[in-house]
Amino acid sequence: MTQVLLAVVLGLLFALGTFLVLRTDVVRVVWGVTLMSQAANVYLVTMGGLTGGAPVLEGGHGGETGAVTDPLVQALVLTAIVIGFGTTAFALVLTYRVHEEHGTIDLGEVRAE
Amino acid sequence: MSTATAFTDTHVVIAPMLVALVTAILTLVTRRSGRTQRALSLLGGVAYLVAVARLGLAVLPDGVLVYQLSGWPAPFGITLVADALAAFMLGLAAVVSLAILVFSLSYVDDQGQRVSYHPLYHFMLTGVSGAFLTGDVFNLFVWFEVMLMPSYVFVVFYSGRRHTAAALQYTVLNLVGSALMLVAIGGLYATTGTLNMADIARRLAAPAEFGIDSGPVLGLAAVLFVVFALKAGIVPFQFWVPPAYRAAPAPVSAFLAGVTKKVGVYAIVRLYFTVFAAGTLEAGLGLPGLSGRSFLAFFGPVLFVMALASMVVGGVGAVSRDDLDDVFAYSSIGQVGFIVLPLAVVATVADPAIRVLGLVAALVYSLNHAVAKSLLFLVSGAVFEAVGTLKIPQLGGLTSRRPVLSGSFFVGALALVGIPPLSGFFGKLLVFDTGARAHAAGASLAWLALAGALVGAVFTIAYLSRAWSRAFWGEVSPAVDRAGRPVVLVAVVAALAALVVAIGVGFDPVYGAAEAAAEAALDREGYVEAVDPARFEPTDESSAHALGRLPGVAP
Amino acid sequence: MSGGSLDREPTVIARTVTRLVVPVILVTAVALLLQGHNLPGGGFIAGVLTTTAFALIYIIYGLDYLETELLHRRPTVPFGTGTGIVREYGNVFAAGLAVAGGGGLAAVALGFPFLTQGVAFFEGVPVYHEFEIASAVVFDLGVYAVVVGALLTILAVVGAE
Repeated sequence: MTQVLLAVVLGLLFALGTFLVLRTDVVRVVWGVTLMSQAANVYLVTMGGLTGGAPVLEGGHGGETGAVTDPLVQALVLTAIVIGFGTTAFALVLTYRVHEEHGTIDLGEVRAE
Repeated sequence: MSTATAFTDTHVVIAPMLVALVTAILTLVTRRSGRTQRALSLLGGVAYLVAVARLGLAVLPDGVLVYQLSGWPAPFGITLVADALAAFMLGLAAVVSLAILVFSLSYVDDQGQRVSYHPLYHFMLTGVSGAFLTGDVFNLFVWFEVMLMPSYVFVVFYSGRRHTAAALQYTVLNLVGSALMLVAIGGLYATTGTLNMADIARRLAAPAEFGIDSGPVLGLAAVLFVVFALKAGIVPFQFWVPPAYRAAPAPVSAFLAGVTKKVGVYAIVRLYFTVFAAGTLEAGLGLPGLSGRSFLAFFGPVLFVMALASMVVGGVGAVSRDDLDDVFAYSSIGQVGFIVLPLAVVATVADPAIRVLGLVAALVYSLNHAVAKSLLFLVSGAVFEAVGTLKIPQLGGLTSRRPVLSGSFFVGALALVGIPPLSGFFGKLLVFDTGARAHAAGASLAWLALAGALVGAVFTIAYLSRAWSRAFWGEVSPAVDRAGRPVVLVAVVAALAALVVAIGVGFDPVYGAAEAAAEAALDREGYVEAVDPARFEPTDESSAHALGRLPGVAP
Repeated sequence: MSGGSLDREPTVIARTVTRLVVPVILVTAVALLLQGHNLPGGGFIAGVLTTTAFALIYIIYGLDYLETELLHRRPTVPFGTGTGIVREYGNVFAAGLAVAGGGGLAAVALGFPFLTQGVAFFEGVPVYHEFEIASAVVFDLGVYAVVVGALLTILAVVGAE
């Protein structure tokens, strides 16, 4: 059930992101890109799964590890979030510059130099 | 802690990346004093070349060198792998980037250099080095981002109307590309259970043993391929190239065309010819027009179509443009076609000799394009500095006023066309040779490759001779008559032109290096063996316990 | 940037709440920074949290408040890159990068692979009983400074325009 729900949510996020990227308003485009990269992050979390191999948590912490989740996808997502954060900040500043240079945030008018 | 050193061959592997990183930080810290900053930047560029040369010399006898970041063993930690292929690409990057750096010291205005140029440049170089060296798919994503972020800033460096529009397009496209790459990487992890390239190759070679379904892996590899094609600017993912190259400062365009594009090419070679080539499909492809069971049987025709389309689109675009930068930008779309075409042949033939030859052709052509195209972009920068315009109708007669500059353009153009004894001659020769031999061996699509390469070559001659006769020959235009004398810029350009000649004349060692690189790219067993991701397979108790003693893990 | 309604002074409530909340945010940020090497937290999130505290000050008290009231000097005019407090934010960014990179290089200097981390435990420390010092804190500190420096630069420059 959770899987179906996650799949639906992911599909919606990607669809919404794609829809927004295709708008002519620059701010919406940036929102769309942000939404897509966040959707990719959510997707990444769902891809975790421990498949054999040596456990990273072993022996220490009192010998009992209990139930563990896959730490790798979480590390990946953290990295991806940091990178996405930086690029989103840049994209927003760029949007502001576009507004300053062109006096509009409508892509149709930005293209027509 | 003593176990840590066992996983490390030497620091030589990571040295190029560290040199670039340290230079970036130092130039950032010293940005108040322009002179110190420039000296450090130049020193860093030279040190990078030295570090790469040392790495090359270390790789030469030892084959594959492996470095485990933080001492975590593969496949748990981040692996850096330096083989002949990585060393070849690093060497290309080091030579071209140093020439571009010297050029920018004189070309970019003082304010721009002080604020951000040098740190960004070296960060970009750090990203490029990391991408060449990494042996981990997710780490490749990180280095791509490290490489791209400075390039976003560079495209908008002059922050004019045109530049912001181009930067917006470039940034949004690459961000979508990054999201796609993340999706593909996540899927690869879910299907193969690992992100280490060597480990992926090992598991794909024995799918049943690891419970891998090859079908989804092929699909994910195709998604990843789109991202690399976007970075390399191959048709149909080329549309960002001309505006971005036109907007960026000339030396940065040279870097983007000469080095950054090659990172995309490298990623394609490394992942699809070393790693994913291990995969086979149980039931065959089952797609119209595609047969065969290996992953490459799918990518071969795709590469064919993309290469031929790149040559045509790039050629037609370059012939019809009236701006030198535009001509060169479209030309690099077309030239990437020449790099991809032999790769397509390699993907479709089985004969090992032709496979090596095809990869050699792609690598030699990459080197030729890196040097010659950055030379041409630097020429356009020098022309702009001297004359103040790049519009071909307003140029003309540069040969009589600026003979050295014009001569350098001529050398670069001839190299792209493929005239002996320049570097481009061997590139073109090897591409045609690959096609001809594949044809002789009975490959079905090889005649198409030959025909395509011929068409591409004709286009190259057309647009370069047009640029030459209109912009450099003919009547001296008023703008050219008032032209200044950018001595340093012309000197750098002339030095690169000399390099183009030198590579052509002394081609033997270059060929040797390219051949070693091609063999390394196809030597999957050697690659997997060197990284040895199976070391910690829990076959017995002791290996699992070995991890507990690693640094970074609480005992 | 500012519409008519935004020019009004923030209410007393907003100013008082900010005074209360900012120290709490900063302390939380430091806590996250210090435990980041093996518990949820770390340099990035601590840096973002610190920046939100600064953002709150900027929004409620205005862009000049930091310099006039806290640092007791004349605010920078014009509020651009390379001058005054923005320049200092840039320094924080550069210093952070140097610390993070230097921390990784220290491992190389000691003969270990780049970025190798170690950890030391001290038993019998008063109050804490067991106390651990991880070298990863140095890297986290660098990341923290990078994030704070970069975000505050963007905030200050874009906010001023």
